[in-house]
Amino acid sequence: MAAPVNSVVNSSAKCSSFNATSFQKKTRSRLISIPGTRPSVQNGQLLVSTGVTSLDYLLGGGLAVGTVLLIEEDRYDSYSRMILKYFLAEGVVCRHELFVASAQHTPDDILQELPSPILDDVAIHKPVEQPRLSHEPQDSLDAMKIAWRYQNLPKVQTALASSSRFGHYYDVSKMMEAEIREAAKCHRFYLPEHPTQSSPTHSPMLESYSALLKSLRDVIQREGFEVTAPMSKSRNILRIGLHSLGSTLWGDDLCCHDNPRHGHALTTFLYGLRALLRSSLSVAVVTVPSHLIQNRALMGRITRLCDNAIALESFKGSEREANPLYKDYHGLLHVRQVPHLNCLASQLPDHKDLAFKLKRKQFSIERLHLPPDLSETVSRVSRGELAGTAMVGSACGSGTSGNKHLDF
Amino acid sequence: MLSELLQGTDTGGFLIVQDNISHSGRPLLKSFISAALNRDEDVHVLAFEASEEELKDGLQGLPCQRLHIHNAYIDPLGWTAHPAFTVQQFCFEELTQLAKQTSQPKPATLVIDSLSWILRHLNPPHVCKTLQQLRKGGAVRAIIGLLHADMHQRGTVGSICHLATSVIAVSPGMKADEAVAKTTKRAKSGKVTQDEEIFRINEDLTVVVLNKTSHPGPKQTDQEEPEMDPTANLTFNLRLSDTEREAKEKLALPFVFSKEKKMALLQSGPGSGRILYEPDANDDYDQEDPDDDLDV
Amino acid sequence: MFTELNSILNTSPDSFTQGDFILVSGRQSDASFLIHHFLSFYLRARCKVCFLGLVQSFSHYSAVCQRLGVSLAQAKEKRQLVFLEGLQEGLSVFIPQDDTTGNKALSFLSRDPMVGLQNLYEFVRSSVSSPGGGEEGSDGSEQWGPPVLLVDDLSVLLSLGVSARAVLDFSHYCRASLCSQLQGNVVMLLHCEEEEEEDDGDDEGSERLLKGLIHQCCLALHVQGLPTGYCRDIHGQVEVCWRRRQGDGQHTQNKVFQYKVHDKGASFFARGTSSAVL
Repeated sequence: MAAPVNSVVNSSAKCSSFNATSFQKKTRSRLISIPGTRPSVQNGQLLVSTGVTSLDYLLGGGLAVGTVLLIEEDRYDSYSRMILKYFLAEGVVCRHELFVASAQHTPDDILQELPSPILDDVAIHKPVEQPRLSHEPQDSLDAMKIAWRYQNLPKVQTALASSSRFGHYYDVSKMMEAEIREAAKCHRFYLPEHPTQSSPTHSPMLESYSALLKSLRDVIQREGFEVTAPMSKSRNILRIGLHSLGSTLWGDDLCCHDNPRHGHALTTFLYGLRALLRSSLSVAVVTVPSHLIQNRALMGRITRLCDNAIALESFKGSEREANPLYKDYHGLLHVRQVPHLNCLASQLPDHKDLAFKLKRKQFSIERLHLPPDLSETVSRVSRGELAGTAMVGSACGSGTSGNKHLDF
Repeated sequence: MLSELLQGTDTGGFLIVQDNISHSGRPLLKSFISAALNRDEDVHVLAFEASEEELKDGLQGLPCQRLHIHNAYIDPLGWTAHPAFTVQQFCFEELTQLAKQTSQPKPATLVIDSLSWILRHLNPPHVCKTLQQLRKGGAVRAIIGLLHADMHQRGTVGSICHLATSVIAVSPGMKADEAVAKTTKRAKSGKVTQDEEIFRINEDLTVVVLNKTSHPGPKQTDQEEPEMDPTANLTFNLRLSDTEREAKEKLALPFVFSKEKKMALLQSGPGSGRILYEPDANDDYDQEDPDDDLDV
Repeated sequence: MFTELNSILNTSPDSFTQGDFILVSGRQSDASFLIHHFLSFYLRARCKVCFLGLVQSFSHYSAVCQRLGVSLAQAKEKRQLVFLEGLQEGLSVFIPQDDTTGNKALSFLSRDPMVGLQNLYEFVRSSVSSPGGGEEGSDGSEQWGPPVLLVDDLSVLLSLGVSARAVLDFSHYCRASLCSQLQGNVVMLLHCEEEEEEDDGDDEGSERLLKGLIHQCCLALHVQGLPTGYCRDIHGQVEVCWRRRQGDGQHTQNKVFQYKVHDKGASFFARGTSSAVL
């Protein structure tokens, strides 16, 4: 695994006192438990939630720690930014540390827009923070009205509750409360604040990306996220959100030219990012404005350097908006890549044509199916109009490029 | 025409063997080398892409003292301290010196394996200039080069082939060990001949031209099957014996007129009427569409 | 090691041809399962292996090879395997620490990558000819067989800014020294993108690199998705092309197989004979 659970355990003789999860790998090493994570059912990797439960399901249960999720932005960057905010909000709720980098908006702006969680059973440790539900008693949490038999059980059990709860729901219409947000530790990187020094070497990476990579590495080392760090304190996950990499504001001309001069800057950065992530307990979500990138081969390389990759295609502003097929949805979602770490085969999603819809309390991703045709005229909508079938290139399957060889 | 080229009668020639990933032209190149050795000529080979063993494979039976392989395979870019032959040595002066090293008064044949390798590292105008100088220089009698056509832009391939006197483009044939050679030869007079042949290379590097085709895709191996006699295996008799045939010929058919009456009818008299008819819309009866008049 | 692939290629760890340059290429499909096959194959055959793992971390390769029955950590300890972890080495070049002695193999990343992969070649050369690598082991270490180089994968080098010409030179030198001089084998993996129409101006793209490598190789395994689209039971097809003449002087035809990757291996079958279909 990217940051193998085994090696983390090996570096610490005595790991956490509680054997938190009921799911055990059949090895002698014990799993550690970090709040907000759970081991994968398929191969025991440590997973975190992206904040969107249906996306977790698509990715095979969650995002594996040590991997990168690439989101190809939709045209107006509305839904991709939404998913980034879900990701960061999930980090706040699970008490992970955050790292937000952007060249366009200040990280504080992004953080202020995080959706508010729907907290019904998330236990908050610090009594200072008030949960927003009205029927909770105002006195301390220790005094339980109905379940008073359990109030003397150790606090560990409530941590168990929060760590076994994987994935939360958010209300998009409300912003997250400032107290909850400020309780989370957040590192910021705003590009205009980092004056670029011209590097002495002709490295293929741009200065902006170099600075970002250095800042990430410093945070990981300083805060002890490295896998090999001594286990003096409890471990935590670092959630990294990188907004709109590859856009012109980062100094990259990837989106401007067909044959960009800095064609390898972003791919080199992604390679360095993967190196950092594989050796630390962190997970990254990167959004890239792929609709501006003209060079498809380069886009393919960018996709391959990330472990998970999805692409969002919103209907707003396109001719598909008027298509009655799509009236229930806000856009299409394509899964471009799924990872196969520590195993030979990757788990591909069953369905290829997926559509998403942003509802107030949920970002739902569903399989696209044709609605029943109740119109009077028999209108034939060809399957080719559904974009999903034509353009999905998964890890193992190709698009229907040639129909000549129907072998089976 | 392939065999003529193999005999190597023209001097000052520049021959290019063009191949691609589907079929390698190196065996044909080796055939040219072996043909030259059989003619007791000196052959200098600049081996960039293939090792010495691979080139010598198949040439064992021949007089190899005339074969000089310059090993540019091990270290062509000079990464080690003592390179045998580097790509920077591909220039007119060095190559002339190389060719003159042999003591024979007859000028040598220069074989380049491969031109694609050189073109990747030196720019095309320099390569073309060197080749042209070599041709005119007199130190080498003929130049034979291998070029991978799919490794370069079309313009580069075209420029190099423009200098050549003959170009052989090989491609895979129908069977596994056969190949198709499209040859274009430019004579000094300006006449251009083209040919397309199927050939096979034997173990001893001799080329066997199987048959010349003028159009691609030969299918002469299939012969027509003899027509089956349909009246052969029936339970009833459909054949006629000779007497029966004679009787059939003699039979007078009912509506056969005698010869005079036929002649009379053929020349129609002045009084006979003629029917003039022009088809109108109702006659355009399409059997396929019976509902043509339905308003749907 | 996939037994069905061994029978297709007519090899086994006990008897395999030496001096081979094998190219594994994937177009829009992930062909890295074949690299794992070759890695476990050559380790079982007791060859001295130099593995340039540029794509994933050591623990990933180790975990997968464990499922195939080979332990990379043990092989490293016994000095049968020399592993270059591209991710870590690359990171140390991007963000130089002050006290690194550092492996110079990936030093091209700090300078202009157009400079070439000579240092990487030197690294490969030194790792296969170190003591215990086919020569007399002076300290009594185990004798290993012919040297083998495995590269996963070359398209990462292209992503890092190396030109296709430099990669072709690197593969030429590896082939010249490992295959011809040391009678070992070389296996390289390359991923290509969707095939575009004739890209005349693209001298540096992966298509040119692919063609150049096919010209150099003697066995090419080309992996791609099914032309009919995505299927859960058949993950794609493999086209096996032999480029050299076999021993009896005949050209072998290209063969196409379909495959399915599962947890502990991959199964190969003739077209249309998948167990899901029959």
